Amino acid sequence: MNILFLIQTFWAAVRAIPVTVLITSASVLIGLPLGFLLAWIKIRKIRILYPLAVVYTSLMRATPMVLLILLFYSTLPSFLNVIMNQKLHWHIKVFDTNPVIYAIIVFSLIAIANLSEVFRSAILTIDPGQKEAALMVGLSPIQAYYRIIIPQALVSAIPNIGNLTLNILKGTSLAFMMTVQEVTAVAKTAASYTYNYTEAYIDIFIIYFILGTLLQIIFRYLERYLSRHKLRVKAV
Amino acid sequence: MPPFSFKFFLSVFGQVLPYLPVTLLIIILSIIFSSLLGVIIARGQLGSSKVWRTVSQGYVFVLRSTPPIVLLFLVFYGLPKLLLLSLNININDWQKSIFVIIALSLLFASNLAEVFKSAYLSVNTGQREAALMVGLSEWQAFYRITLPQAIVVALPNFANTVAALIKDAALAYVIGLLDMMGAGDNLISRNFGHHSLETYLALAIIYWILFVIIEQSAKYLEKYLGKGHTIASKSAEVVA
Amino acid sequence: MLKVRNFKKKYHQHEVLKGIDIEVNQGDVVALLGPSGSGKTTFLRGLAFLTPGDSGVITFDDQKINIESATPSDIKKLRRKMGFVFQNFNLFANKTAIQNVEEGLIIGHKVSKPEAKRRATEALKKVGLQQYANHYPSQLSGGQAQRVGIARAAALNPEIILLDEPTSALDPELVADVLQVIKHLADEGKTMIVVTHEMAFARDVADKVVFMDKGLVVEQNEPTSFFDDPKSPRLKEFLSRISAVNVADNSFEYEKAVQK
Repeated sequence: MNILFLIQTFWAAVRAIPVTVLITSASVLIGLPLGFLLAWIKIRKIRILYPLAVVYTSLMRATPMVLLILLFYSTLPSFLNVIMNQKLHWHIKVFDTNPVIYAIIVFSLIAIANLSEVFRSAILTIDPGQKEAALMVGLSPIQAYYRIIIPQALVSAIPNIGNLTLNILKGTSLAFMMTVQEVTAVAKTAASYTYNYTEAYIDIFIIYFILGTLLQIIFRYLERYLSRHKLRVKAV
Repeated sequence: MPPFSFKFFLSVFGQVLPYLPVTLLIIILSIIFSSLLGVIIARGQLGSSKVWRTVSQGYVFVLRSTPPIVLLFLVFYGLPKLLLLSLNININDWQKSIFVIIALSLLFASNLAEVFKSAYLSVNTGQREAALMVGLSEWQAFYRITLPQAIVVALPNFANTVAALIKDAALAYVIGLLDMMGAGDNLISRNFGHHSLETYLALAIIYWILFVIIEQSAKYLEKYLGKGHTIASKSAEVVA
Repeated sequence: MLKVRNFKKKYHQHEVLKGIDIEVNQGDVVALLGPSGSGKTTFLRGLAFLTPGDSGVITFDDQKINIESATPSDIKKLRRKMGFVFQNFNLFANKTAIQNVEEGLIIGHKVSKPEAKRRATEALKKVGLQQYANHYPSQLSGGQAQRVGIARAAALNPEIILLDEPTSALDPELVADVLQVIKHLADEGKTMIVVTHEMAFARDVADKVVFMDKGLVVEQNEPTSFFDDPKSPRLKEFLSRISAVNVADNSFEYEKAVQK
């Protein structure tokens, strides 16, 4: 065991944490509204879009993350190149784009599909009586949705959103396949010079443990904060 | 980018499907070992021994944040070193599939422990007490009353975990295992990086079919096993 | 004021309502009684189009709605004249007691915020809960929650309030307070339809009692004749089946309410 290498590589990998955090948070933040839209399409069974939404969700949830990454990374740049440069003549240097962008796109696509299922089940758990009461005091169906149902669904969805964020965080360990310089890539590269792979992966393991634990603390706090109205105080 | 070749796309299935048994073997063995380990960990979490409870809870907590690929590499690079240094056992010539199975079993044991634990806890303690009071032994109460109910409760989450395991098993090719993904990877290199879209798409479809099979059989099983529970709740709807 | 003709509703193959005719005059309190499964709740929810009926005509003042051809704007217009009190309260779980009352005023009826606050506070005061204004529904007892539910409906000042078994989800000792609040509304001259099992309450507060069984209105009368001189065999059977204990129990809770 090369302790010196272990420590040096740890600090090198720590400096790559912002990339990992950026990809994770950007993907989840993009995924939240779009996932909600997709959930809405599925709940309301919107014509034409509904079957597409179902197939998209199923495919994204069924396909291994590594395969999705390879699939998108091998085709997305060329695809964008064809559209932007050959069709629209925007002359954007697609192939020079920071791979972080591609990573955010791929993980967002995954987040959207999973969050749509999280939202769908959260909305379906809200008692239909809530909507009925809203309609009876004069709210429109849309007002009932965003004033009564969504705020409640969001609270009950928080633990699952937390799980998904954790999964995306863990998934970013595959972003090195897109040449993104995140935690795993940096440590792996360091190891490849000296063959200290075990040490490098111990470093990565520790960093993910710290990040994952912080994430869980944040979500637990968020859940507690948002579910104030659920706190059961003994009724007087 | 060469245009999409439908002919090549179809030929991919013929090239990678012969490796489906490798993928399936890894999946099935990992499910078995992770279930066994999962039961032990769940038992530890629920048991009265404080040491075991701390150890098993700690295990679950640590593994929750561990990316599959990191664990896979740790097992692949670290385990031989550890065994060689500590016990002087050389496992460097073990097959790669063994490392994959160890990594997946370690990883999913923690997920399954949670599934088993919450299923066990969801069965009303009154069920056990009633069983004891009609003269069943502690063990009989468990396997005749609690266990059958817990299995029904655990099934959806168990199926979800299996689906996740199947997906993570696709990582095995990164340590050089020749499974479906490995075969697809070889195919792309033989074509100098061309036809990656066709290859990955065909693989995605195979995984999708596996996923749908798991999903549907879990649904069927749930319906079949859950007969006793669901009838009462269905008929309540109509009452005005 | 409200007239319903030939209201029908089917669930799958089962005909739950076989043609209900009912008339409610301004200021009337109509108690709707009947065994469980008789369709009382279905009818009340059908009036508000929460679970719309299949056919029939609803006439409310000058608005005439054919149920089969009701448009969303018809329904909206009709609901504006109605308040609804739910069996299981359905308070908005993400809003405090006062926000529950304000919600309909501000968003549904476009009342200004200060005015809504004033009216909501007054409505809560009327049900004796102004000190619970900032409690969330989960922090209220069932009886308190239902009183907020009534305040929420009454604050909108609807022409009619529909109450769907307002006390049947409550513990017995909480029933009295809620009944008292409803009686208060009746004394103010509010028009109401109450689906209930509280016989003593129906007898004392209602102007008209309607007995439903198997999807039909079997008998209706003013309360004294209804209870003391039932005509149809089915109502006789229904009244006799309600055990003496039950009636005594109900009257006890109700009398407590009256004494307060």
